[in-house]
Amino acid sequence: MSSKHDILNALKSAAIAPQAMPVINISPRIDDLVGQFETSLNTVAGTLHRDGGLAKLQAQVDEHIANGMQIISMVDGIKANRQVTETAHQLKDIDYAVISGDLAVAENGAIWVNNKNLGHRVTPFICENLFLVVDANNIVANMHQAASRITLAPGEFGTFIAGPSKTADIEQALVVGAHGACSLNVYLI
Amino acid sequence: MSTSTPAIHAQKAEIFCQDEARVDWHSKALWVLREKRDRAAGSLPEWEQLRQIGSEMKLHTLTHLAQYLEEFEQNCIQNNIQVHWAKDGAEHNRIVHDILAKHDVKKLVKSKSMLTEECHMNPYLEQRGIEVIDTDLGERIIQLAKQPPSHIVVPAIHLKKEEVGELFHDKLGTDAGASDPLYLTRAARAHLRQQFLSADAAMTGVNMAVADKGAVVVCTNEGNADMGANLPKLQLHSMGIDKIVPNIDSAAVLLRTLARNATGQPVTTYSSFYRGPQEGGEMHVIIVDNGRTDMLKDKILAESLKCIRCGGCLNTCPVYRRSGGYSYNYTIPGPIGIAVGAKSDDTNSIPWACTLCGSCSYVCPTKVPLDKIIHHHRRLKAEAGKLPYGKASYMPLVGKFMASETALNCSMSMARTALKILPGSLLKPFSGAWGKYRELPIAPNSSFEAWFKKNRG
Repeated sequence: MSSKHDILNALKSAAIAPQAMPVINISPRIDDLVGQFETSLNTVAGTLHRDGGLAKLQAQVDEHIANGMQIISMVDGIKANRQVTETAHQLKDIDYAVISGDLAVAENGAIWVNNKNLGHRVTPFICENLFLVVDANNIVANMHQAASRITLAPGEFGTFIAGPSKTADIEQALVVGAHGACSLNVYLI
Repeated sequence: MSTSTPAIHAQKAEIFCQDEARVDWHSKALWVLREKRDRAAGSLPEWEQLRQIGSEMKLHTLTHLAQYLEEFEQNCIQNNIQVHWAKDGAEHNRIVHDILAKHDVKKLVKSKSMLTEECHMNPYLEQRGIEVIDTDLGERIIQLAKQPPSHIVVPAIHLKKEEVGELFHDKLGTDAGASDPLYLTRAARAHLRQQFLSADAAMTGVNMAVADKGAVVVCTNEGNADMGANLPKLQLHSMGIDKIVPNIDSAAVLLRTLARNATGQPVTTYSSFYRGPQEGGEMHVIIVDNGRTDMLKDKILAESLKCIRCGGCLNTCPVYRRSGGYSYNYTIPGPIGIAVGAKSDDTNSIPWACTLCGSCSYVCPTKVPLDKIIHHHRRLKAEAGKLPYGKASYMPLVGKFMASETALNCSMSMARTALKILPGSLLKPFSGAWGKYRELPIAPNSSFEAWFKKNRG
């Protein structure tokens, strides 16, 4: 007999009577979504650029390129100096990655990124610094709304990114920049 | 100071308590987490509603677990994810090793997984020539120090930065005497980047497994799970059967409470949904029972499987904060560690590492009734004839004594008089372990009963 069979069989002797699935009906806080999002993003150590959009981002990218930085852009309209590499490992020297987020969550500063916008899945993690671009109309109030709007087709990978990577594992001292990106700048368009 | 040598909780706690300043420091560090948690929870008007929904959703899932597990497996297969089932830790380790051996894996990078700790997977793989690198900073620290985790979310909470500095100087070549957390973290980042880039496979735990999508959700702040899983072409995810949630809406409820309750953050930095392997890659999910179906056979113990491993109950527990993570004879310490580990505690002492204050149950984001479960474990130990601390011999006498009104009233009256007229040094020995760190009370003039009759009767 297989272990699967044994486990499923053992579950038949569970002691608790079947419970109904609760209804999830939590009213969202819908005032000033951009303001809420900015506050949350600051809390998770990210920075929001409300105005200027892609032009401001391109200027920032150009400046970094002039300073010798390696930048990959996965966003239409932003030109950088690196292309998608053949292997994921070859991204190891990327200083900045520019990526599109599908939607942003006001309550916690998280941005949903689907692997269609990534090239290699590791791109937003392996880069030293991350630029995310989000449409200001795609800010939702909370995770319940986000859950109903995100796309994750069969076989895909997607992630909520809330700020740069961080840790407090040494004496609870917050250090921004653990294994993923060391900074996150979000540009609204 | 290790979980590997069993001794009763009080003895292990005594070792931890020898350094009083350190105990205070440990307790305070955890209390800071509790305070952050309170602020995060307090900022959401719907917090209590989220706890209620979280609890009901987990109970619903646990009572339909066979159905959801099968749904999850079918959807995983459609997403090109290979699913394995393991009845216990030994079978889990065998499955993992078979997969790794088939791909000739020499180095495995692993993000935090309490399940693989529970299964003692690292030593199993290491004995078979596979290098296992823990990639969460806290876990890497304790791995280099050859220690088990002392907390489920902040595994190196018991170590001071100077100790980490010394360890890193020894193992990673950082400057002697350097203890700045930023400097040490950057050194670990550089060291672990090399490991990510040279790993042959990656393994992660699972925070939630979404049944209707056939996807696993992995949450980290450091990005180590995603750096691992998205570099080598082989990714493995180990999960207990209790990690299933019906759909993404359910996962969203838990994502709202998990980080808030753990560290006070609004959400973990990365909440990643894997619904299939990367291009040209291979993805495996190992579903593990290891005693969980047994727990489900007991109505009260079953509720401990609602746990989402946020660590909130550890941070608030007055006993954990002052006895440390190595006092519990189990991989998981604190209230939830007692709930899921008491059965395998051969010293039968950990259900008594609790004041039954109930603080854990009140902070729990899925309303696991921890104090009730711990109390239930005491009953189970008594029924099995395994009471510790000599309780089996004296508790029946205490019971009889307390049940007799005359005996109780007489002796309490004698005790009040004794406390008033006899010197403390003479009485202290009678207070036993209770009096070890406490002063004797000041005796009231009368019993509560007499006071009540006089004033309120």
